[in-house]
Amino acid sequence: MEEVIFRELVRLNAHLPRRRISLREALKNPEIELSNGGTHRFRDSELEVLKSILPEKDWDYLKLPILIEMNPKFGKGAGRIKGTLECRVVAKLLGKQEAEEIILYLPEIAELRGKLPTVTEYFFAA
Amino acid sequence: MTKAVTTISPTRMELIRLRRRIELAQKGHDLLEEKMDALMMEFLGLARRIKAARTEAFAKLSDAHSKLLKCMAWMGTLETVQASTETLKEVEIDVSGRSIMGVRVPMVEAVEIHRKPTDRGYSLHVSSTLLDEAASAFEEALSKLCELAEMEEAIKRIGLELERTRRRVNALEHVLIPRLKSAVAFISFRLDEMERDNFVRLKRIKALLEAREWKR
Repeated sequence: MEEVIFRELVRLNAHLPRRRISLREALKNPEIELSNGGTHRFRDSELEVLKSILPEKDWDYLKLPILIEMNPKFGKGAGRIKGTLECRVVAKLLGKQEAEEIILYLPEIAELRGKLPTVTEYFFAA
Repeated sequence: MTKAVTTISPTRMELIRLRRRIELAQKGHDLLEEKMDALMMEFLGLARRIKAARTEAFAKLSDAHSKLLKCMAWMGTLETVQASTETLKEVEIDVSGRSIMGVRVPMVEAVEIHRKPTDRGYSLHVSSTLLDEAASAFEEALSKLCELAEMEEAIKRIGLELERTRRRVNALEHVLIPRLKSAVAFISFRLDEMERDNFVRLKRIKALLEAREWKR
């Protein structure tokens, strides 16, 4: 049983992409390869939302998917967004103040995932 | 639990090893709980969206059916059926996938589902505008049904993953961690016992030696 559980822990972050791509790259090809061998496709309508929030000069620097770091040290159900551009997008969408990193709580994460379900992804850290 | 405890050798190394395993299992439990919360949030969010989408899709379908009935009444049933057989039935649907915490979820997008009356294939000079309206309403309903299908499949898969994760969390919380903790308690108890044994033995030896000294 222990082995099964530890295998599950190894699998926790297997859904992350092999390489995060820029918004400009995503606009050309919205499909990325994942570490577990699968693929993930960004929805065009969500890429349009990102395009409308950021000026064109930043399209090369916003890396997708935007990672929501879930870490028990932030508290139950809380997540962190890191990166200036990522935080700018999230702050704009959720009506929060811009910062270098933003801590989001469960209802905010639900709102963000509701608005951007394909360009955001969970990342589990301990 | 007793079986697990009896097979453990009560040594300090084993105690250290078990404490490390408890720490790891606890971390794993916390992380899996985080995953479970996130999955639950996705599940509830999807359930809310499905409820709204289902109502909307059924409203669109009912609207489309009433438009079709009006068209049949105006144009005649046979003519409407004839027009429907002439209509191009292929609709391009783009099915790709996305991943939610490792759960493969389909993405169904109807490509160019809303067609112009001239692209539908039936003859325009014998059909009424009511037929165009009905066809357009059915196209809209179909696009909503695609959205609904995508969400329903997603919720089904997320539900399965949620169940699996819950089983793992419960196994850690109610079986593995308590078993490891009881093993730690057993080893600590045995080590304390052994230490007390040694202490008593040394006291006894000391007393014996002292007694022997006195005899001399």
